[in-house]
Amino acid sequence: MIGTYLKTTGLALALGGWAGMAAADPSLDLVGPLADYKIYVAENTAQLVADAEAFTTAIKAGDLDKAKALFAPTRTSYEKIEPIAELFSDLDVSIDARADDFEKAEADEAFTGFHRLEYGLWEKGSTEGLAPFADRLMADIHTLNERINGLTFPPEVVVGGAAALMEEVAATKISGEEDRYSRTDLWDFDANFAGSQKIYDLLKPLIAKQDPEFVAKVDGNFAAVDAVLAKYKEGDGYVSYEKLTDADRNLLSSKVNTLAEDLSTLRGKLGLG
Amino acid sequence: MSNPPSRGIYLAILGAAVLAVAGGAAFWTASRQKPQTSADQIVTVDARSCQPNAITVPGGRRSFEIVNASDRPIEWEIVDGVMVVAERENIAPGFHATLAVQLAPGSYEMTCGLLTNPRGTLTVTASDEATAAASEVTLKKFLGPLSEYRVYLVMQGNQAVKAAEKLRDAIDAGDLPAARAAWAEARLPYRRVEPLAYRFSDLENVIDPSAAYLAGREQDPGFTGYHRIEYGLFAQNSTEGLAPVADRLVADLGTLAERLKAAPLDPALLLALPGAMARQLAEAQIPEGENSYAGNDARDLTAATEGIAKLTGLLRQVVASVDPKLDAELGTEMQAATDAVAALQGQDWSQVPAEQRQKLAADFTRLAETLDRLQPIIGMN
Amino acid sequence: MTGCPFITDRRRLLMGLGLGAIGTLAPAAQAREAAQPNVDDAPHGHAETAAQSVPFHGPHQAGIVTPRPANGIVAAFDVVAASLDDVETMLRLLTERAAFLTQGGAVPERDPRLPPADSGLLGPVVAPDNQTITLALGDSFFEAQPALKPLKPARLQRMVQFPNDALEADICHGDIVLQFCANLQDSNIHALRDIVKNLSEYLVLRWVYEGSVPPVPPAPDGSTPSARNFLGFRDGSANPDANDAEMMGRVVWTAAPDEPAWAHGGSYQAVRIIRNFVERWDRTPLREQERIFGRAKNSGAPLDGGPKATERDVPDYAADPDGAKTAMNSHIRLANPRTPDADKHLILRRPFNYARGAMKNGHLDQGLLFIAWQADLQQGFIAVQNLLNGEPLEEYIKPVGGGYFFAPPGVAGPEDYLGSGLIDAARRA
Repeated sequence: MIGTYLKTTGLALALGGWAGMAAADPSLDLVGPLADYKIYVAENTAQLVADAEAFTTAIKAGDLDKAKALFAPTRTSYEKIEPIAELFSDLDVSIDARADDFEKAEADEAFTGFHRLEYGLWEKGSTEGLAPFADRLMADIHTLNERINGLTFPPEVVVGGAAALMEEVAATKISGEEDRYSRTDLWDFDANFAGSQKIYDLLKPLIAKQDPEFVAKVDGNFAAVDAVLAKYKEGDGYVSYEKLTDADRNLLSSKVNTLAEDLSTLRGKLGLG
Repeated sequence: MSNPPSRGIYLAILGAAVLAVAGGAAFWTASRQKPQTSADQIVTVDARSCQPNAITVPGGRRSFEIVNASDRPIEWEIVDGVMVVAERENIAPGFHATLAVQLAPGSYEMTCGLLTNPRGTLTVTASDEATAAASEVTLKKFLGPLSEYRVYLVMQGNQAVKAAEKLRDAIDAGDLPAARAAWAEARLPYRRVEPLAYRFSDLENVIDPSAAYLAGREQDPGFTGYHRIEYGLFAQNSTEGLAPVADRLVADLGTLAERLKAAPLDPALLLALPGAMARQLAEAQIPEGENSYAGNDARDLTAATEGIAKLTGLLRQVVASVDPKLDAELGTEMQAATDAVAALQGQDWSQVPAEQRQKLAADFTRLAETLDRLQPIIGMN
Repeated sequence: MTGCPFITDRRRLLMGLGLGAIGTLAPAAQAREAAQPNVDDAPHGHAETAAQSVPFHGPHQAGIVTPRPANGIVAAFDVVAASLDDVETMLRLLTERAAFLTQGGAVPERDPRLPPADSGLLGPVVAPDNQTITLALGDSFFEAQPALKPLKPARLQRMVQFPNDALEADICHGDIVLQFCANLQDSNIHALRDIVKNLSEYLVLRWVYEGSVPPVPPAPDGSTPSARNFLGFRDGSANPDANDAEMMGRVVWTAAPDEPAWAHGGSYQAVRIIRNFVERWDRTPLREQERIFGRAKNSGAPLDGGPKATERDVPDYAADPDGAKTAMNSHIRLANPRTPDADKHLILRRPFNYARGAMKNGHLDQGLLFIAWQADLQQGFIAVQNLLNGEPLEEYIKPVGGGYFFAPPGVAGPEDYLGSGLIDAARRA
């Protein structure tokens, strides 16, 4: 029994599944990456504010085509910084909740934010009645921006954010239920991957030396994801989620889960477990 | 430089101070006492150098007693490369001050009076005390605050450059009113990050030197930076000849921004910065004024207070769960200092009555003393 | 507190003991304490069943003719593999995990700042608990890799819809399926979680069905009756004897000369998710239910037997040519008409019952997780199902998912891995 166990463990180690030792304590070397990450987030929230101004203005002006065109690109700044944005649960709900988070689904009064607007623009094909939701979204985004600027980022949330974004994709995005009316899910994927990879890239110098195999594996999986997504690029963004083939969906799914599995060790590796 | 009369109230406030610090003048009568004998090392600074000029002490928490034997006010600093480890500013002729600092083994320099004076050497040897200090306590709780402070340094550093560019443009355009307004604005980001920025001694000496510390005063070729421009705009009432100074300031602030971004931060530094700054304000700018030509110290102090508040807020995040009472006290003291500065806005500093300045200085001293209490609780040694 | 007087009294008793009990009082009170199970006690496990293990190595995979424990899970995955090397790595890793999970052992300890190596569902030591993990490969597994395509078992195909089927895409097919069987469902869940965690790079989950069969006490004669399905009938009465190696060689293990050599010793698996309309069934008269199945509901005996007949009795259809006793279109008569020809259609059934909560129409989602093993898929399940098409039972059942798969032969020893014969053959080609 024990013999089997030793052998299996040995193989798993050889395959990289269980590799890695935790660091005893976090290092001051983390200060640079953590600060750089906040600057990245601050840049994205500033972008989000600007993009959301244009998006909500188009809605309130009744410009359906423009509003639809701005929906996906506006979301990307939010999706990149989701590990931090979702620290504010009230705003996360009012900005990004989906209809199935509410008992009465689309008809629920509490259903607001991006997906409420998406529902109106695509499902109803109109900007009618959306102005209050647009105003609310804009106000929420301003509040988010202020709160993020005033926030001292918890190191474990930042470091854990790389895996958290992958968990997010694995749990609720890969199934194509995020942007169900607009089918712009691939924009969100791309942003989630970018957000995860940003954290990973910032931390990479801290682990590359002692864990080159880990770094090679994670780099490889991010590259594989990029290669798949590249096939679906169109202009500045992506084609409809419906064009994603089953084989590519499976490939993304396996990479996402493996990235989540591997990146979940980052906290421990950096002494933040 | 005005010499406000001494006030009895200071006896009460300062009489119990452990670190008796001499002011720039008779103002700090209370500290004119026999030198403390408990210091590990006495350093006498005369017109040209430190005596002794080479010191060796064991690593750990060391105290220095600095005696000003020259005829001008001095500052005394311990410098590691270009980084100021600790300093005492504005020690009046004939006065003394003590300075306690945590020193890791290594080679340091001491500044000795005028910036042109040769520096002394300070050698810190290995010791059990230093080793123990280095190996203690987890850094985890400081990581967030340290990172946040780095973000602040980067943001304010960049803003300082932008504001200086605006000042330079106004000077280039020869627009005196615009240049004066831009100068006041340009001071603010610098003052916010001054707790760390002044520790880059090479940059501080070109960005923010005071004529008082230069041999040739306003005519000294080393008189550059903010105050040189202030002198031109507010004392000489002209933008003339300021363009190269402004260009140089922009360039130096660019270098500063880079340094601030790359500066290695650690808990001991974070703990030391706000108290040192608050004390410096209480000892120098609040009693004496710093912007002697523009007289707008109140506005500068707002920014300086914001910089201290940023640091204090970050340290409160660390201490809140350890000592909620101290956390609350810091909140109260910080608010008091902020309110006190706010109440003086709009006044020319030379017109602010001495007792108001003294009261304000007392607020900052109290804040510094409260900040001092953090070290034994959340310090790493 | 008023709602739980028992707890209060019990605590009081314990406190009294703690304060005053010495000498002879204490052992008696402790014994009473131990004998009174409490709401938060874990259900009693059995060390002996936990220790039961099924050998992992052998000519055939375990979990096919080995005894069926009380609980099963079928999990279908798609395989993400860019090359034959990837496939081999996946198979080797799967083999290693399965070897550990079926034989048990201590879970490796990791630094607590890292995610643990194991879900911990079974504690620090994994008991074997009769765990088997059986790998079977779908048609798409072979189609996806050019090197594997020519080596596909001769009768393996993608499941196609039968007349009564209403297949739901979400619960059909898969590049591979893993069949987990164990005494406790927790053991299966633990094993599944382990596989999902350790093979995430290669396996993407398509669907999972969990099932169980009720333990049945032995009959007075020592025989074990068949377990009942969710329609209340005994299921498996006519199964061939899995201990009859010669018969298994004919019925279960693939050996036909037109099958690729690597596949010899393997077996075809038919998985069918068959929803039961249990509400409607429970509103059907007993006689009608028995006529539909062709067996007595209580005993499981054929309908032509006497009052003492058992489920093992063989119906005499020759004596009942018009179906007066066992209707011609009854389930058991259609499935196995007991003619000499019927022998070649024998299959080894290994089903579990499943219950998955409610459906949107307010009905219970319950049914049979049908699993059948056979040497020849065409002659086995497909032929039998074609015989059953149009049976009256169809009014009460609806196959909604599943698929056809082929289980490669067993893992010979510690150096071998699942599917090694296939990979070797692909490399030679």
